[in-house]
Amino acid sequence: MTKIGLEIHCQLTNLESKLFCSCKANYRGFEPNANICPVCIGLPGSLPRLNKKAVEKATMIAMSLNCNTPDKLAFFRKNYFYPDLPKNFQITQLNVYGEHSIGQNGTILVDDKEIRIRRIQLEEDPGRLIYEGISEKTQITLVDYNRAGTPLVEIVTEPDFENERQVRLFLNILSDLLDNLDVSNPSLEGAMRADGNISIEGGNKVEIKNVNSFHDLEKALHFEITRQESLISRDIPIEQETRHWDDKRKITISARIKEGEEDYRYFLEGDIPWITIDSQTLNKLKADMPESISSKKERYITKQIPAQVAEVLSSDKFCSDLFELAHNESNAIVIANLITTDLMGLVDTDEKREKSKLTHQHLTDLANSIETKEITRTSAKTALQECVATGLPVSEIISTLDLGHVSDESELNKIIDEIFIQEPNTVEQAKTNPETINYLIGKVMEKTKGRADPTLTLNIINKKLS
Amino acid sequence: MNLGISALRYVEEVKNGSFTIEEFISKTVEQIKKHDGKLHAYLSFDDHVIEQARNLDRKIANKEKIGSCFGMPISIKDNICVKGGKTTCASKMLENFVAPYDATVILKLKSEDVIIIGKTNLDEFAMGISTEFSAYGTSHNPWNTDYVPGGSSGGSAVSVSAFECIASLGSDTGGSVRNPASFCSVVGFKPTYGLISRYGLISYANSIEQIGPLTRTVEDTAFFLNIISGFDPNDDTTIDNKNEDYLSNIDAGVEGKKIGIIKEMVGQGTDKEVVSATNNAIKKFEELGAKIEEISLDMIDYSVASYYTITSTEAGSNLARYDNLRYGYDFPLEGYEFNSYISKARKNFGPEVTRRMILGGFVPSAGYAGKYFLKALRVKKKLTDEINEAFKKIDFLIAPTVPVLPFKIGEKIDDPVALFLLDFNTVIANLTGKPAISVPFEISNGLPIGIQLIANSMQDKPLLQAAYALQNTVKLPEVPI
Amino acid sequence: MKNLVSKEEIENVAKLMRIELDDHIVHVDRVQKMIEYFDILDKAGVESEEFDVQEKSITKLREDKYIPYDEKLIEALKNYKENYVRAPKMV
Repeated sequence: MTKIGLEIHCQLTNLESKLFCSCKANYRGFEPNANICPVCIGLPGSLPRLNKKAVEKATMIAMSLNCNTPDKLAFFRKNYFYPDLPKNFQITQLNVYGEHSIGQNGTILVDDKEIRIRRIQLEEDPGRLIYEGISEKTQITLVDYNRAGTPLVEIVTEPDFENERQVRLFLNILSDLLDNLDVSNPSLEGAMRADGNISIEGGNKVEIKNVNSFHDLEKALHFEITRQESLISRDIPIEQETRHWDDKRKITISARIKEGEEDYRYFLEGDIPWITIDSQTLNKLKADMPESISSKKERYITKQIPAQVAEVLSSDKFCSDLFELAHNESNAIVIANLITTDLMGLVDTDEKREKSKLTHQHLTDLANSIETKEITRTSAKTALQECVATGLPVSEIISTLDLGHVSDESELNKIIDEIFIQEPNTVEQAKTNPETINYLIGKVMEKTKGRADPTLTLNIINKKLS
Repeated sequence: MNLGISALRYVEEVKNGSFTIEEFISKTVEQIKKHDGKLHAYLSFDDHVIEQARNLDRKIANKEKIGSCFGMPISIKDNICVKGGKTTCASKMLENFVAPYDATVILKLKSEDVIIIGKTNLDEFAMGISTEFSAYGTSHNPWNTDYVPGGSSGGSAVSVSAFECIASLGSDTGGSVRNPASFCSVVGFKPTYGLISRYGLISYANSIEQIGPLTRTVEDTAFFLNIISGFDPNDDTTIDNKNEDYLSNIDAGVEGKKIGIIKEMVGQGTDKEVVSATNNAIKKFEELGAKIEEISLDMIDYSVASYYTITSTEAGSNLARYDNLRYGYDFPLEGYEFNSYISKARKNFGPEVTRRMILGGFVPSAGYAGKYFLKALRVKKKLTDEINEAFKKIDFLIAPTVPVLPFKIGEKIDDPVALFLLDFNTVIANLTGKPAISVPFEISNGLPIGIQLIANSMQDKPLLQAAYALQNTVKLPEVPI
Repeated sequence: MKNLVSKEEIENVAKLMRIELDDHIVHVDRVQKMIEYFDILDKAGVESEEFDVQEKSITKLREDKYIPYDEKLIEALKNYKENYVRAPKMV
């Protein structure tokens, strides 16, 4: 019986400012130490100032994971020395004097398995270290504090995962959830980190740390499970320990520092009062919370959108936002289809999405044009590409690219005749094999750049064949 | 031109044209040259004070508006950040630290056109009661230079008492403003916790400390409080005092007020001269129409233990950032590994700070956290409840500021528990967050005795009124320098 | 005498606090004295007490705005090289 628990750190990259000061929350793109102030580099005399939106968004995360949220939040100091820790303590949360971290005792359904969320806490990220120098004597650590103070939400689960697959599904659900709440962009490098703990068949728990991406976590878990199974098969007991993921060699190795050796001397952070969240604020947060992914999915299904399509559409905020604005009663299915089948493939990276000039109006107009048979479904894809690239109105794109439906019978007749001459063998086959007709239709589409009316084309071909 | 005038009087005289700002500043600088070699109140000076004075004089001559402080010379305890100047906390660990920003209180004072003469001496990192723990040598009491000035804001008290400035800002964690004020015969005030911003005050025990002014008169304290108090967005622990005016009606008097004498603070362990002075103060209050009754605070016996448990824990954490990597002193890091470097670098803490660090690592550590730290917090709460109960019946508490007369330099420094107990009268105001003030009251055989008044939270204004009333019942001799 | 503080404990705390000590014995005595004094807290009868905290409403917290710090702070620090802060190597 495998038991896996996770400890996930999510940066709140969509906030404007850091957790305790007004430097930028998303530190990417700055020159080293250009996103700092007296507070986040821990200058003598500096004091933390808690970010209201960080508390609000973290509370929303807690609510999305069905956690209890306290009416008073408390912050603690975790004291240890490290060059990336400006104050040599981290301001974090703990449930020592009652339950006062952002959320506790939540649940989330992962593929019919209920995963319990033990605790969610708000804390600050340390800075970043770079190691320089090769020889023993010259090695120096370089510190960049741009990241120091970035708001983090730590999510700790119970060891309820039974296999890597559930872990992967959970991480995907979590990414989508954070994206949907507009708190974090999970695709940013380093925005989500996860540590895990594994025990198999009732053996000792092993912690895995130093995992830098979700992808690596899966690999690390897989390696560790294999390692433990191999030990068990040889009757070797599994030591309770912390192991680090070595990304280069793709293995876990025993960390030299044992858990419990460092004493963090936790105590209350005196510079931050206990934060009271009154019921009025809580209700407003609930009301302001973006609709959950599962709720969206259900709603899309009621619009007769196929479950698979609804699943994909609801999980992607960028696309579902477009869908919400673009669709109405009659064109919901078409637009959902356009987005999931064509658009997602066109804008498959953050960069492309950023550059895209497509608006919801484009989608509405495209759906219209398909409905009125002004263009075919196939040429709609081409038009979509142009919308993304140029942002020009759909009508303009259709005329410029000459995408209008070819429904003129005589024109189609001519084109089909041409093809019949070019492909005599295929034509013979088509007389007995209906599948080959599709190939011929395809050829017509090629010639007409997808503008041929499919129904009419089929009729004409059938007539000519018989 | 009398250097010993109050801040309010100074402003009047400058407005009247009795003297120019430059004249007063120059004379202050002379006074410092004459006396500070012996007194050692200052650790560092601003080189441009005459220039600043001239600028302000010019503005006045041009009928331009200048700030309400009119260039008065003030000193700042060297654990408060003044931009561009050394801020050493009287420690070798911060020997070279130049603050790149101004504390909020400094910004506020600068915007009212004070002239900061320099930074004053303190016990290292504000940990001490006599200024003898400064890494740069102790300060000397101007009333008798063989004696300590009190601490930890000793330099501040000396600078005001010896006319080396008109007023000073210090910090008070367990009595560090009130204690030296009492020993040097000046007014020392600790506000309600949260009334004055701590942004820019180098933290020692952040949950109980406050910046406080040291001045010659109670009115001066009210004047400065008006400038430096109030909500600061840079400090989440500050409270909104709704722009209260602490100076208006300061002469309201104490007619009908009820004053409680803290029984535990005039009994065993208090010098007889100090008891006598306290009784005299009580008599004066009675003459002014106040009613006196005896108050007993059971939890007082535990207040010092609670205080040192909490402060050593917080200090251990607040001083962790001094790893000499971003600021500190000269000590090249080549050849060292991280942990060995910072452990060696932090050897530069003085002996008292080191002792508190060790204690501060011990007390909250995993094996002991519940035993000491949690209990200390609970004592703090129970004491606060007790004192709140008392304030339901009375308006102010009265006690001597320090149980003993000023002592000789070197006399007490080797007895840690004895030193701790000198805080006995002052720590309760810090633990409970209540405002407290020391008013100079008597000189006994040439040594000053101050009387302490404590009020309920946010009653800083009535407290100043009571202190003003007491102040005006005595006329003290001039400091013999 | 209960709670005898050992030299080993002092050594551990010194390591925890990252302070190199030459005179452990002095601290053993001293901490022992202080701890004994702190034992007075056991007599305070506070086992069932809560403790006080300062409170602040979420509505009064800092607004989430990006305000770049207007000075080149890195140049005010010691030990910096090409905009990085230098620290000793990590083992």
